[in-house]
Amino acid sequence: MQRTPVNAGVVEWSGENPGIYLKEDPDGDYSVVALFFRIVLSPHGRGVGAIILGDPDKAAGYPDIPNLCLTNNRPMMNYLIDNFASKFPTMAGKPAVNAMSWFDVTSNIQKNGDMPNSYTEELSAGDLTVQMTWLDLQAPMAIEVGPDASATKEHDMYAVFLEANNAQISINGNPLQGQVVSRQFFGRTMSTAFLALSETWVSPR
Amino acid sequence: MPIKPNVRTGNVDWTGENPGMLLKTDPAGDWSVLMLFFRIVWSPVGPGNILLLYENPNKNVGMPECCNVIMADNEALRDYIKTGFIEKLGTFSDVPAYSASSQLKIDKVVTEGDPCGDFYSETVIGDGLSIKLVWEELGKPTALELPPELTGTGEHVMYSLLVDSKSCFVEVNGRRLEGHPVSREQAGLELSTAFLYYSETWIFPDR
Repeated sequence: MQRTPVNAGVVEWSGENPGIYLKEDPDGDYSVVALFFRIVLSPHGRGVGAIILGDPDKAAGYPDIPNLCLTNNRPMMNYLIDNFASKFPTMAGKPAVNAMSWFDVTSNIQKNGDMPNSYTEELSAGDLTVQMTWLDLQAPMAIEVGPDASATKEHDMYAVFLEANNAQISINGNPLQGQVVSRQFFGRTMSTAFLALSETWVSPR
Repeated sequence: MPIKPNVRTGNVDWTGENPGMLLKTDPAGDWSVLMLFFRIVWSPVGPGNILLLYENPNKNVGMPECCNVIMADNEALRDYIKTGFIEKLGTFSDVPAYSASSQLKIDKVVTEGDPCGDFYSETVIGDGLSIKLVWEELGKPTALELPPELTGTGEHVMYSLLVDSKSCFVEVNGRRLEGHPVSREQAGLELSTAFLYYSETWIFPDR
């Protein structure tokens, strides 16, 4: 892959973008698709957010169905969903993306002091609390991909990935159903739960 | 299974944020103030924050005479970064202030501003100090991927997101330190010695 020290493209956003994808049936579709965002730079400012699709194929929102989005910066989150997350293979075409309920975040607690055993992001919006926890984290690996291999198929992307052998998502203490499975990711067999740290997306020129 | 070329085979040393300021009162003279801030999200000894600030790099004294300090909220991380990183950056380790610096504790870090806006700041609080770092006149974000020969240590591959800053200052308990950024060159870019680096990852060379 031809790379240059200075990427001439336009930086879109940078930050953290860990994810958890769960299955109830290992041979079926994902039963839960969830992404967390901690953005340090974007055209719409900084912020945190999470997309939790507890039933990705259902066009309904919370509380009927656990499809929800929490953020402290709605313009930023709309930008991330429209231009990035909705193009990821795990979310592309899923009815829940347009139907999920939105909530304004009132607090975010990051629990990262017990790595590599566990790592938790907690977002609250009033009485609603969502916890995403990654367990049994593996050694980090640095990656760089061009449009051919990035999740949007449009961007360059740099990141540090840490595979998690287990993960949990809970809404007000109630865990979403499903298990982490394995998938092919950057030529390796990896878990569908991962931390993605120091991640930068660039529109190539 | 063979590893594709887009996965680095070298181990990650650390990853996070690493903004800095190198200031002069006389453009032809020595550095008047040197500062590096680290917000590390992963290292082998855990995450944490570190501030390296020399109010006077050429003075062989620490607090309270002079604000030459190394502050941290993770002592193991501080020692890991000192020996494995800062001591490979001669500008920061080959000055009297390095060994004389007072080692203090960080209680809290407050971030303000927006790197795509008018200013960005970090305020580091601990052990009776409130140290405010402010970057202004911010440039266009630029993604870098530097080979060892272009990095400060000369040993690592480094990914980073650079935001250049043409104006900056440091305040210690409300007292502004002297000096201004000057020009520098990195990877063929004409830059300032005040900079924000986000999503920065230091990687040992491919095995």
